[in-house]
Amino acid sequence: MIAIIDYGASNLLSLCYALEKIGQPCKIVRTPDELADASRVILPGVGAASSAMAALNASGFSKVIPRLTIPFLGICLGLQLLAEASDEGNVKCLGILRGTAKKYPVSMKVPQIGWNKVFLGKPSPLIDGIENGSYFYFVNSFYLQSDAAYTTSETEYGVAFSATVQYKNFFATQFHPEKSGKDGLTLLRNFCEKC
Amino acid sequence: MIIPAIDIMGGACVRLTQGDFAAKKAYSTDACSYARQFEQQGAPMLHLVDLDGARSGKPINQESIFAIRKAVNIPIQVGGGIRTLEAACAYLDAGINRIILGTAVVQNIALLKKLLERFGSDRIIVSLDAKDNKLMLSGWQQTSLRDIYDAARSFQAIGVATVVVTDITRDGMLGQPNFEIMDTISQLGLNVIASGGVSDVGSILKLKARGIGAAIVGKAFYENKMTLKEALMAAQSNLAKRIIPCLDVKDGRVVKGVNFEGLQDAGDPVELAQRYSAEGADELVFLDIGATCEGRSTLIEMVQRAAQKIDIPFTVGGGIRCVQDMQNILAAGADKVSLNSAAVLRPALITEGAQLYGSQCIVVAIDARRVKNGYCVSINGGSEKKNLDVVAWAREAEQRGAGEILLTSIDRDGTKTGFDIELLKAVCEAVNIPVIASGGAGAVQDIADALVAGKADAALAASLFHFSTTTIPLVKEFLLSRNIPVRI
Repeated sequence: MIAIIDYGASNLLSLCYALEKIGQPCKIVRTPDELADASRVILPGVGAASSAMAALNASGFSKVIPRLTIPFLGICLGLQLLAEASDEGNVKCLGILRGTAKKYPVSMKVPQIGWNKVFLGKPSPLIDGIENGSYFYFVNSFYLQSDAAYTTSETEYGVAFSATVQYKNFFATQFHPEKSGKDGLTLLRNFCEKC
Repeated sequence: MIIPAIDIMGGACVRLTQGDFAAKKAYSTDACSYARQFEQQGAPMLHLVDLDGARSGKPINQESIFAIRKAVNIPIQVGGGIRTLEAACAYLDAGINRIILGTAVVQNIALLKKLLERFGSDRIIVSLDAKDNKLMLSGWQQTSLRDIYDAARSFQAIGVATVVVTDITRDGMLGQPNFEIMDTISQLGLNVIASGGVSDVGSILKLKARGIGAAIVGKAFYENKMTLKEALMAAQSNLAKRIIPCLDVKDGRVVKGVNFEGLQDAGDPVELAQRYSAEGADELVFLDIGATCEGRSTLIEMVQRAAQKIDIPFTVGGGIRCVQDMQNILAAGADKVSLNSAAVLRPALITEGAQLYGSQCIVVAIDARRVKNGYCVSINGGSEKKNLDVVAWAREAEQRGAGEILLTSIDRDGTKTGFDIELLKAVCEAVNIPVIASGGAGAVQDIADALVAGKADAALAASLFHFSTTTIPLVKEFLLSRNIPVRI
């Protein structure tokens, strides 16, 4: 069973539908206790880092997530929350990945909205079978820089940033696999079957 | 990399046309203010030219150049009048990141070798200025008999890695660069910085498609033909321009009319949505056009069905009046909501939505009607004209937290006569969020025009696709052939 963490304002439905399409049962969880029978965890994300962290702190997830040993997938904001901190509201995050989420440079339109190319780096089971230069759907104003310690693919938007990451059992995508057509579903299937 | 150019003559910032010193145009006596402005807008580097120096063979405007060096923190490259070891060292030892050598090196290979040895090929760049494929000298005042490609090869042989390539007949003409020269020199294995005639996003995309990553842009910025932001957006990302089929929904059916009237049935919304998604649509928009006039909410059931069936983002609009309406639609599986009349009547709605769901969820749709001195906002399906300027409203919407603007020309809607480019340009230049062009798409060329001349980030079309005038793959193929980045 895949547990999807609900901490407020996220569009969980499209993620559930996407998992349904690849035949993976999921449930929405609101407290850490509900993770007990989960085999995998997804932290989706829309909204601001500061309010998301406040919700994760209040529910106790912020203490539990870093100690997870089952496969974990952060999506969009869920990737940035894995960092040490975010400039969005100057908030301390989960501290699983080194670095701070930063805002895109002034030269770019913010938010980044749309399909951007993902260039593969270090191999990772999450991006198995994805072709180099494939398009994925992004909606974000902040990003985590590319870091050899965990970046497995990167995308360019004023800067080269982490499109997908892996650190131990923690995987994450800056784009929305649930909104990225066929390639997005491939990636979700990889998470469920290969990670 | 886009490198804005500041040409300095007598301490002032000027632009020449085709290198003719008589045809100069002065822009400002304060070159530093331009430098700071470019830095603030995100320029990765500045290209400074001492025009007096280029003509006289020795640095003349060093003082102005050092003042700019102090004023900004980004890297700077300098050219013009650098013909001796002393002149080169004076710049390189004073914080100028790289220097550009022209005439000096053609006449003094020993100097070039010495500089490359001392400072490395990252800091020593050679300028290849061509006219009819022949190398030009002395601030472009003299034509040599030397073939430009032959010169490029010989410089490469002694260790030059980067060259600035200028077809001087294109310089300051606000046309197109000479792609053939750039291509040929790039294929030799040299890093080419394209210069001369790089004056629109189209040429930047074309250079990028050819693997030429750097360009110097001058006059186009000063003459406002293109903004630095547009140039950087095109150069520094691979974000695709989006093609968005729009489904106007009424009583559960897709309809399409002319100028919002005379509606025709165009099919089941979810079925059509699936077809478009499979064909390669980048996003979808459902607009409940019955909602505003008749006071009905958008069909939640349809949104749920759509969310289950399609795996690309979609926006729902029409009749959204309050936060609860937004909540209902987002909870049913929509990715974004589009606010129109309700936001005009109560602008705080935009802020409320953005705070609750994030700006990325909030699209502000603006129906624009042309009036005497510009465009004014219309509401209620275009039936009621408000005394509100479209550009001012777009700016306000952005400030209040809108993540995107969906801009429809009511005058063009359903007419298939092309988008209102003037309207698009005015709004795209005024805001810093993506703008979706809508209203008037009748042919593939119209879409290209909206994305290039109109500067839009996405193009929305309805009748074009509903009545199979063209298909999404055909549109994308066409755009790609015009070097417009699209997802295929």
